[in-house]
Amino acid sequence: MAAPLLELHDLKTQFFTPEGVVKAVDGVSLELHAGETLGIVGESGSGKSVTALSVMRLQRPGKIVSGDVRFKGRDLTKLSEIEMREIRGQEIAMIFQDPMTSLNPVFRTGWQVGEPVRLHQGWDKARAMGVAVSMLTKVGIPAPEKRARDYPHQFSGGMRQRAMIAMGLTTTPKVLIADEPTTALDVTIQAQILDLLRQVNREFGTATILITHNLGVVAGMCERVMVMYAGRIVESGPTVDVFAHPKHPYTWSLLRSIPRLDEERHEPLKPIEGLPPDLINLPSGCAFHPRCQFKVERCSRDVPALTRVGDTQLAACWVTQSGQELKGA
Amino acid sequence: MITPLPIDVPVVTSPAAPGQPARSYWEQATSRLRRNRIGVASGVVLLFFVLVALTSPLLAAIFTHTDPRSIDLLNTFLPPLSPHHILGTDDLGRDELTRMFYGAQVSMGIGFLAVGVSLTVGAGVGLAAGYYGGLIDGLLMRFVDIILAVPAIFLFILMSILFKPNTITLALIIASVGWGSIARLVRGDVLSVRTRDFMVATNSLGASDLRLILRHLLPNVLHVLIVFGSLYLGQVVLIEAALDFLGLGISPATPSWGNMLTNSETFFFHSSWLVIWPGLTIFITVLAANLFGNAIRDAFDPRLR
Repeated sequence: MAAPLLELHDLKTQFFTPEGVVKAVDGVSLELHAGETLGIVGESGSGKSVTALSVMRLQRPGKIVSGDVRFKGRDLTKLSEIEMREIRGQEIAMIFQDPMTSLNPVFRTGWQVGEPVRLHQGWDKARAMGVAVSMLTKVGIPAPEKRARDYPHQFSGGMRQRAMIAMGLTTTPKVLIADEPTTALDVTIQAQILDLLRQVNREFGTATILITHNLGVVAGMCERVMVMYAGRIVESGPTVDVFAHPKHPYTWSLLRSIPRLDEERHEPLKPIEGLPPDLINLPSGCAFHPRCQFKVERCSRDVPALTRVGDTQLAACWVTQSGQELKGA
Repeated sequence: MITPLPIDVPVVTSPAAPGQPARSYWEQATSRLRRNRIGVASGVVLLFFVLVALTSPLLAAIFTHTDPRSIDLLNTFLPPLSPHHILGTDDLGRDELTRMFYGAQVSMGIGFLAVGVSLTVGAGVGLAAGYYGGLIDGLLMRFVDIILAVPAIFLFILMSILFKPNTITLALIIASVGWGSIARLVRGDVLSVRTRDFMVATNSLGASDLRLILRHLLPNVLHVLIVFGSLYLGQVVLIEAALDFLGLGISPATPSWGNMLTNSETFFFHSSWLVIWPGLTIFITVLAANLFGNAIRDAFDPRLR
C-alpha cells in the first residue's frame, strides 16, 4: 500500500488552564490515505475537533506537547508559521460545524469563496470571483452569479454550508477536514450536504476526515472509522466491522443506545450510564472503566494500548484483548 | 478543468426575496442616515465649515478683500454691517469675517487631523490588543489605563508648554489622549468578534495575521470607529477652542475661533459681537458634530435607538 497522505503519530494537545492541564488530545495516531473517507466519532469533549484543529495547527490556546503530524512526509508541527499558511487552505481545507457563524457577515459570499485562490494563487478579484461562481455552481447553489453578490445573511443554513464547502475546494486540496458539517443543519439538508461531500470526494479525489457524533452519518459515508473517548482513540477499523462487531465497550454502548425502528415498542432507551470524564482528572487506568459494564479489576489500574483485536480492528480494552466477546446484558 | 458535479440541484429556499438586489450593511446604514433629517442637516453644516476652511483665502478675496492680519487702527471696533466689514472689526481694526474664515482652517484642520490620528492609533492598538490577547493585551491596555487616568487638561497644558503649538502639534497633543478611549472600544469589539467561527475558518484558509486583522477583522469593528470619530470631532473642536482661549493653543497672530475669544472677552460689554461670532460658530459646529455623530450611531447600530 502507498504511503499515507496524512499520518498522526502519538499526538498530544493540551490546554493549560488555571484549574489544571486539560488533556484534550492524549496520544492520537491515525493514517489517512489519498481519496479515502475516515470517520472520527465520539461525544462532545472527546477531542475530535481539537485533533482536527491540531492538524491545521489552529488549536490555540492549546499546545501540541508531543507527537507529530506528517503530511506527504513533512512534519507539520515543525513548520514555520509561514510554511504552515501554505498548507492551510491549499493542501488541507477545513469545514466547520456552524455555517451560520463560519462566514464573515460583512463580505459578499462570492468574495469569501474566492479568498483561498487570492491568498494562495495570488489571483485578482475578478478572476477569483469567476472561480467562486463556478464553485458555487458545482455545490448546487442556484443562480450563482447573482448569489455570489449576496451576503451570508441572505443564505439559508444549508446554502452557507455549501458555500463553505465551495470555499474549501477552490484550491482543490488533498485533504478536507469536515468538523461536524451537518450538526447545525436539519435532517433533509444534512442528507444533501452529505451527498455533496460524497460527490466531492469521488470527483476531486479529496481525502476526507469526517468528524461527527452521528453514527448514522459515519455508516453512510466512511470506509474506516475511529472512535474517540476522553482524548484517545479507543477503537478503529473498517466501518462495517466496527458497527457489526464492536470491540470496545464504549462503541458497543454507543451502538446499543441508538433507538431502532424495528425494535419492540415501549422499549426504554438504553443510555450509557454516568458522565463523560473530567479531562483534567482522568480516571485511573482505562478512562471508560467507571461507565463500563464489562470492567474487570485490571481496568482501573492499567491503561490499555490500542492493539489488534480480531482480523481488522484495533481496540484499547483489556476485556476484548483477552479474547472475550461483548454480549448485551 | 473540473467537470460539474452530477448533482441534481435541489430547490434551496432563501430568505432574500427574489429579484431584490443585495444590500450591504454599508448601504443600509447610509440609507438610514439619509432618512434622518437632523442628521443630514448637521452633516450639511459640517460640510459647509469644511468648505469654508478649504477655501478661506478665496472667500476672503471675494467677500472681504482683506487679510486676517491687516491692522487698521483708524477703524477699530466697527459694529457689524459697517461698510466693507459685514461682521465688524476687532480692537486692532482687523476684519471679523476674514478672521472667521481663517479660523475655520484651524478648527477643522485640527479637528479632522486629531480625529484621524486618534482613530488610526486607537484602532491599531485596540486590534492588536484584542487579537493577540495575553501579554500584549495586558501591556497595551495598562498603558491606555495610565493615559486615561491622568487628567487630560493637565496633559494638554504640559505638552503645550513643551511643544510650540501649531496646527499639527496641537492636533497631535489632543490625539495623544483621544486614542486611548477608541483603543478600549475597539478592543472590546475585537474580543467578541475574534471568538466567532469565521475567524478560525479564515485562519484555516491560510491567511496571515496581518491580513486576518486588517482585511477580515477591521471591517467588523469599522462601525465603532465611524461612530466614535464623528462624535469625537465635536469634542476636539471644543478642546482646541478652550486651549486657544487659555492661550495654550495657536498663537494669537494666526486667527482661530478660540483665540478670537481670548482677545475679545475684555470688550464684551462694549463690543459684544466680538464674542458672539466666534462663540456662536463654535457652538454651532460642536452641536452639528454631536447631532451628526448621533445620527451616524443610529444609522450604524439600529439596536441602540
